[in-house]
Amino acid sequence: MTTAALTPGRTASQAAARRSGTVPVSVVVSAAVIAVVLLWSLVPGLVTGHDPAVGVPDDKFTAPGARYWLGTDHLGRDLLTRIVHGSASSMTSALVAVAIGVIVGGVLGLLGGYLGGWVDAVIGRLVDVLLAIPGFLLAVVVVTALGYDTRNAAIATGISAVAVFARLMRAEVLRVRTSVFIEAARVNGGSTLHILTRHVLPNALRPVLSLAVLQFGIAILVIAGLAFLGYGDPPPASDWGLLVSDGREHLLHAPWLVLAPGCVIAVVVLSVSRISRWLDQERNR
Amino acid sequence: MSTLENTLPAPVRTAPEEPLLQVRDLSVAYGPTEVVHGVSFAVGAGKALALIGESGSGKSTIARAVLRLLGSRRARVDGSITVQGREVTTLRDREFLPLRGRVLGFVPQDPGSSLNPVRSIGSQALEAAALVPGAGRREEQEALVRGAFERVGLPDPQRIIESFPHQLSGGQLQRVLIALAILPGPTLLVADEPTSALDVTVQKQILDLLDSLRRELGIGILLITHDLSIAAQRADEVVVLQQGRIQEAGPTSSVFTAPSAEYTRSLQADVPGLNPDRFADLRAERDQKHPLTGDQRPVEPDGRQGADAQVRVSGISRTFRTRSREVAALRDVSLSIPRGRTHALVGESGSGKSTAARALLGLETVDAGTLRVGEHEVRAQDRRALREVRRHLQIVHQNPFTSLDPRFAVGRIVREPLDLYRVGTRAEREERTRWALEAVRLPQELVGRRPGALSGGQRQRVAIARALALRPKVLVLDEPTSALDVTVQAGILDVLATLQRDLGLTYLFISHDLAVVRQFADTLSVLRRGEVVESGEVTAIFDSPQHAYTRELLASVPVRGAAGVPGSPDAPDAPGSPGSPGSPGSPGSPGSTGPLPRAQELQI
Amino acid sequence: MSTTATLPESTEAPRRTVRSSRGLLGAAVGRSAQALVVIVLAYVLVFLVLAAIPGDPVSAQLDNPQAGFSDAEKARIRSFHGLDQPVLVQLVVSLGHAVQGDLGLSMATSQPVTQVIGAAIPSTLRLAVTALVLAVALAAALGLATRLLPEGRLNDLVRSLPTLFLSTPNFLIGLVLIQVLAVQLGLFSLVDSEGFASTVAAALTLAIPVSAQIAQVFITALDESAGQDYAEVALARGLPPAQVVLRHLLRPSLLPTVTVVGLVIGEVLGGSLITETIFGRAGIGMVVQKAVATQDVSVLLAAVVLSALVFVVVNLVIDLLYLLLDPRLRPSEVSR
Repeated sequence: MTTAALTPGRTASQAAARRSGTVPVSVVVSAAVIAVVLLWSLVPGLVTGHDPAVGVPDDKFTAPGARYWLGTDHLGRDLLTRIVHGSASSMTSALVAVAIGVIVGGVLGLLGGYLGGWVDAVIGRLVDVLLAIPGFLLAVVVVTALGYDTRNAAIATGISAVAVFARLMRAEVLRVRTSVFIEAARVNGGSTLHILTRHVLPNALRPVLSLAVLQFGIAILVIAGLAFLGYGDPPPASDWGLLVSDGREHLLHAPWLVLAPGCVIAVVVLSVSRISRWLDQERNR
Repeated sequence: MSTLENTLPAPVRTAPEEPLLQVRDLSVAYGPTEVVHGVSFAVGAGKALALIGESGSGKSTIARAVLRLLGSRRARVDGSITVQGREVTTLRDREFLPLRGRVLGFVPQDPGSSLNPVRSIGSQALEAAALVPGAGRREEQEALVRGAFERVGLPDPQRIIESFPHQLSGGQLQRVLIALAILPGPTLLVADEPTSALDVTVQKQILDLLDSLRRELGIGILLITHDLSIAAQRADEVVVLQQGRIQEAGPTSSVFTAPSAEYTRSLQADVPGLNPDRFADLRAERDQKHPLTGDQRPVEPDGRQGADAQVRVSGISRTFRTRSREVAALRDVSLSIPRGRTHALVGESGSGKSTAARALLGLETVDAGTLRVGEHEVRAQDRRALREVRRHLQIVHQNPFTSLDPRFAVGRIVREPLDLYRVGTRAEREERTRWALEAVRLPQELVGRRPGALSGGQRQRVAIARALALRPKVLVLDEPTSALDVTVQAGILDVLATLQRDLGLTYLFISHDLAVVRQFADTLSVLRRGEVVESGEVTAIFDSPQHAYTRELLASVPVRGAAGVPGSPDAPDAPGSPGSPGSPGSPGSPGSTGPLPRAQELQI
Repeated sequence: MSTTATLPESTEAPRRTVRSSRGLLGAAVGRSAQALVVIVLAYVLVFLVLAAIPGDPVSAQLDNPQAGFSDAEKARIRSFHGLDQPVLVQLVVSLGHAVQGDLGLSMATSQPVTQVIGAAIPSTLRLAVTALVLAVALAAALGLATRLLPEGRLNDLVRSLPTLFLSTPNFLIGLVLIQVLAVQLGLFSLVDSEGFASTVAAALTLAIPVSAQIAQVFITALDESAGQDYAEVALARGLPPAQVVLRHLLRPSLLPTVTVVGLVIGEVLGGSLITETIFGRAGIGMVVQKAVATQDVSVLLAAVVLSALVFVVVNLVIDLLYLLLDPRLRPSEVSR
């Protein structure tokens, strides 16, 4: 009887935060996680005193503990240090990927949605094609054509995200375009360019940006996946996906080598998607 | 009919002194905010009690508290509710369930969204019939459904049963919903604004149906409405609510003839149907200040019209074509408006009134005919000329929740047309913006606010200020108050009438509300399926309508020529809490503070 | 519930009669033609991207001095593979053959591409179908739980699971499953990669992130339906809450959910790359990996276009299913 049958779909903490107008705790924690990782990327030396490339052979396969917080690998290198030093590459490449997706996809969606007609038809087909090819496969194909390194993996990931952004931008432009306030601006003498830049774009951009935040998380996963399969920078680089891949051989006796970088990826992506969801809700309130 | 009486369990008759529903000292709170404060009333068998109030008055919340639809964890309900003498607030959900439908029936506000769109009417009706005790077999259930459909006056029940909701009209859907509500034989119907989403002619039929159910089946009715004229005509007793408090309660006749509360009096004064002469003084002053000059003849039978009229529309036609059908939105429509006067276009949905207005603005092309504003001809194809015409011709849209760019501040919204037409220097534009805001009586402090921080009435004033900024000669008012509460509507109409007096503006006023038209317009055209069936002076048409359709329209209006004000939302527009859309002013509508739907003139 | 004003003009007329002149068959033919265009364009796109690879696999082998080919032999072999032609000519020739079902020879092994791909299909099909079934079941369970459980911590927990599932890299899930299920519990052997338990574990690896995407859409759709007037009216009519969920919320929520199921087919196919690597399965994902390693363009092209074909066909079927699920989209002669 006491089911949640028709209650609004919000969790209790969300509802509370909404009422009081404060930022939910989970969002604050997520922001803190992102801040820490950004700090790692900018000044990796600040957090750890170890060298990412040079290990202490005697300490190889040390389990996590006081001296090595996340343990060491088969060469006795400190895992935390390697994760910290890999964060810059992982974060920048995700950023590059999202930037490509937003810019290319956004422009395509804007043109298609606003101009309509044959432009929309051509762009629409292109987007259909990009959607039809599974994203990860497309990324693999592109990175194969460009050559294996982390920068190319980022570009490939960005290209595989173009379709999603183009579709959302187009839908948003269509939504805003038919708004009454656009008609009002037209009656008030607004030119096409004025309406596009002052009314349509700003109103269409918000949801696209909140998707961009979400895609940042997804890009981290995709790039990590590519690195895991060996399509990123080769070792001794320490991209997070590569760390997991390296740790695979030692899964049985040193599981932390897989678990620690894997969990770092999960926590970062989780934080990013929490922030994205919060931005989305803020927009809708 | 007979089926219904034979198979339905007879309503349990209670002792005459025991009302069907007794609410005592009812309070409802969401978290720390109490939205209904100590409300008491009672509904007797075969009686109708109306809960009257504007947005945020708590009337819908009370209805949902009675039906226990508020969601027990989010809303705290205090006080006592007894149904047929039995206290229900202390019942557990499982014990309350048998009361739903079988004792307490519910008739919703918007029939268009109150049936599941992906299931046939028949499957939903049978589902309701299966809940009636004793109706175990399918044939019995089908008989119940058919009987109920016949009882509510649905022709061809078999066709209805096979239909999906989108295939029926709003009036038919509301009959289906009423049929489903009376099917289990409830003793009380809670009707939440049962007609506010319907056209006036349909509105009257539905209210008549509810009346007959009350008389013939002895069902008690708790009628939730914002429309004083409906309450005056249909209820035995009324309870006037404001912000969750009872302002006045009593028998309908005494409350309406001698209202004791200040709020009731002001509410009554704002109802157009009860005060046809509200703007008579303003209009008299206007006539003195701007007397008619030159040849201002209205359209004559042979199509000739006054050469000096400010707006001259002659013989416009427009047909919309889709793959499957053609709809003649406008057929040979002509009208003319003298300078400084108001002409109303009246009609129900699909009558073509908005298409005509949009054609005048050049937002819609016409297949034939001409439109002139002053010395300019309006041609939708000629963008350069159109831009020039629109300096003198502006529009106020129906829905202020969608007509303002949510990202612009008020000052920038009002200034935008000035910037686009490069009027004067920057300082002069600022000055003109201030003037326009003053003209619509908006405080200057609001200049920096965004629309999201304004109430519906304030937003509509911003829209009017924007339309005024260019100092146009003609304003097209497309149902400018139909999304607003009566008190807010009265304020907006007052602003518009004053502006006409002071500036000599010419209005084309689109409305489906005859009472407002009577207060506000000088001349009117009645449109029906794209054709003008009657036009002339407002007073003449109201006194002696010539066309049968006009007579039907006038007859459907509840009281003394008063039309229902359409769907006043429990939107964040409580009169007492302007500028706080996020405030818990609309407890009855959790999460429904979004923009109002824009009415579609033609559904194609 | 919705006390938002619904203005009179919005209800009186029936909303719309869609495609009344075209009908189901017309819609089906139109969509199929569109799908065909997408497949051909996908072929062209992937072909052109792969043409950008510097060098080609044949030359790489031929130029190896140990192979000892003469220049004339090299030229002959290259011309056999069509590599001496301009890219656009190669494209037209290869597309022409592909249309007739001839995907050419693998540049690495000289086996027919259809054979290479065909041998890998059963393994991937088993994996993908199992994964999709698991994902849909998991998503359905999560979605219904949010409506059938009482409000509270447990409900909140269920609501947060999809985000968690979506954020975890699938290689991590796979490695943990292997560690726990195969190594510690000994439920399956790592050698028998096509066995039932191994297949289910691999499918679960794929299904968890995919189920999260479906669940997110399903839960949002259920939330949306729960806020609709018809749900409240059904409850007021005396229908027990659980029945309201099953009879009134479920079906309207299926529409967007079915759409997302179509879209995640791509994720399943893309994800099989990593999953097959981890679990050592000889499926399409492995074929792709090998083709990438040897720059075997013809096999890679075929595998990618096959994936696109599966995606397009599944979504075509879903489009048509939509017409059946939503009566408002059905051609109808009744209008008033």
